[in-house]
Amino acid sequence: MSSSLQTSAPPQSAALRSFAAQWRARTLDSLSPLREQAMHKFLELGLPTSRDETWRHTNLRSLAAQSFVDAPHRGGFKMAASAALALLGDAGGAAPLLLVNGYPAMPMGEIGGMQIKSLRELSRLEPLLLRPYLEPLSDADSARWTLLNTALFVDGLYLKITARVPVPVVILHVAAGDGADSIAYPRVIIEASPGSSATIIEHHVTQGEHTPLNNSTTHIALGRDARLEHYRVYSTDAGATHLDSLYVRQERGSQCRQFTIVLGGGLVRTGLEARLDEPGASLDSNSLLVGHEDRHVDCVNIVTHGAPDTRSNQTARAIASDLSRVIINSKVIVNPGAVHAQSQQSCRGLLLSPTAEIDTRPQLEIHADEVKCAHGATTGRLDPDMLFYMLSRGLDRATAQSLLVYAFLADVLTGMSVAPARAAIEGALIAQLPDSQTLRKFR
Amino acid sequence: MLNIIDLSARVAGKDILKGVNLKVGPGEVHAIMGPNGSGKSTLAQVLAGREDYEVTGGSVTFEGRDLLALPAEERARAGLFLGFQYPVEIPGVNNVYLLKAALNAKRKAAGEPEVDAYEFLALIRQKMKLMQMSESFLTRGVNEGFSGGEKKRNEVLQMLVLEPKLAILDETDSGLDIDALKVVSAGVNSLRDPTRAVVLVTHYQRLLDYIVPDQVHVLSGGRILKSGDSSLAHELERRGYDWVGAEVA
Repeated sequence: MSSSLQTSAPPQSAALRSFAAQWRARTLDSLSPLREQAMHKFLELGLPTSRDETWRHTNLRSLAAQSFVDAPHRGGFKMAASAALALLGDAGGAAPLLLVNGYPAMPMGEIGGMQIKSLRELSRLEPLLLRPYLEPLSDADSARWTLLNTALFVDGLYLKITARVPVPVVILHVAAGDGADSIAYPRVIIEASPGSSATIIEHHVTQGEHTPLNNSTTHIALGRDARLEHYRVYSTDAGATHLDSLYVRQERGSQCRQFTIVLGGGLVRTGLEARLDEPGASLDSNSLLVGHEDRHVDCVNIVTHGAPDTRSNQTARAIASDLSRVIINSKVIVNPGAVHAQSQQSCRGLLLSPTAEIDTRPQLEIHADEVKCAHGATTGRLDPDMLFYMLSRGLDRATAQSLLVYAFLADVLTGMSVAPARAAIEGALIAQLPDSQTLRKFR
Repeated sequence: MLNIIDLSARVAGKDILKGVNLKVGPGEVHAIMGPNGSGKSTLAQVLAGREDYEVTGGSVTFEGRDLLALPAEERARAGLFLGFQYPVEIPGVNNVYLLKAALNAKRKAAGEPEVDAYEFLALIRQKMKLMQMSESFLTRGVNEGFSGGEKKRNEVLQMLVLEPKLAILDETDSGLDIDALKVVSAGVNSLRDPTRAVVLVTHYQRLLDYIVPDQVHVLSGGRILKSGDSSLAHELERRGYDWVGAEVA
């Protein structure tokens, strides 16, 4: 399909060759020129390796040796009742917006304060609306997979928040393969009009034995004074590999509260790139990363203050048990002119077994005067003084340990305003802690 | 009730207790006094079962059981309580959760059913009133953001709820103003009865004006050098500790 691709050197790895084959099989649409640029850049850069700054701790070599086909587009998909953690319980209100392997599986339309459109439809009818989200990104290594998503996503979801949306909206992302090594490209765009507000929960689950590689991208654009509480919750199965990128752009006075919750998956990479480009924009990013069994979690947050009087607050809490590994890279950049920017980064890790590993790396890059930026990172084991205090009150060791782990995560949990979602997340979290039965009683 | 024979203990490679002997009977209040670094707090922590404090010799029985063979949590359930000199803050663990868990652990060990939620709250409120603690305590994390005095009150509150047979209070009086000292003392005195015992570890005689001990012991250099009745505390207040060592030598 693309002459420039045909003339470039043949891709090196099996994975790249298979992505190129997917690209050649795509039909043209109004976005093809932008997609082609993205594909070209992706093939030029290749898969990230440990030489790339933000991929130092995550090895994708085994993935590079695989060939991938598109994850199936399934009509009439039925969600198994037991497959998903019900984040809103029975109090949910609106039915979830269902995406299966990135394809919307419910009717489009409107719910109170929000328009819901399919990206495929939109690329046909209003391609200009989508262009800003598909423009070539920086070639930051953290954006590598987004380039591939831009080139190859077929459909997805566009949500336009026009007013105050009274109930939380759940987007249920189901990854369900059918045998062959496959890859899905879910794409979600959330645009909030000035003054609007909403709570959106993206929930990633898997169904069936064959889980596709998930390469998902979400964009959030908040207009003036808009408010959004956004969750992305991963409760995929232990074999799932998920490379997720989230981009947040905020205008004047807008407020974003973001929660990234990793409770499942085999390899989960969560990217967040936020730009506070107008005065008064404020972002609270909260990450709760649970390493369990041999899970590998790699969290990369980059927040750029591009205007005066912007505020960001990043709180990351990681626990790791068994053979798991959790990596937190968080970076704040204050651009020239962004005076009176305020930022805070707190990364804390708790190791629950000697074989687990947590790496935290908060960074600051300041190019403006009169800013207030703080960062801190600690990783350790349970505090022996706290443990002894609880034992001396008669609590058994397992209960005391679990309570301390739970307390460690409380900073993030208590910030969640959607009570049923919080309760469901707590429940799933507790199930992965030692002595979960006892702990349930203390919720 | 408590019988300590020739107890020696080491902390971080250093011998701190060097042969402590002490007998505490039911209904009795004992005060252990002594200069800084004499081993008072070490003794308290060893009795409560702190693992990184190594017992190098001697024995301790509590109601006929070998106390040193029990882990900390079982000592607590058997009726031993340590009021900490520096109660640790545990943000994220609610005060009331901890108290309830502690009470239920004790009840379970005694073969009793778990406490009813309503009854429990009524009990806590009653004890909080006695300790003059504010309602906000109910929603806060364990000792989180408490002042020094509030932490000590909280220790005594826990003791009142758990009703231990033996309470060891490690410098519960330090950092308290006179009003707080009276409240804390009233709390301790409310627990005094013929079946329970209290060991007060203290630096100053002041506390003993409010909780009058049956016996006073001077711990110095890891040994009990002198014992006497409550008048010994007054003598120590007047004369300091040096003469005790000189007298023994």
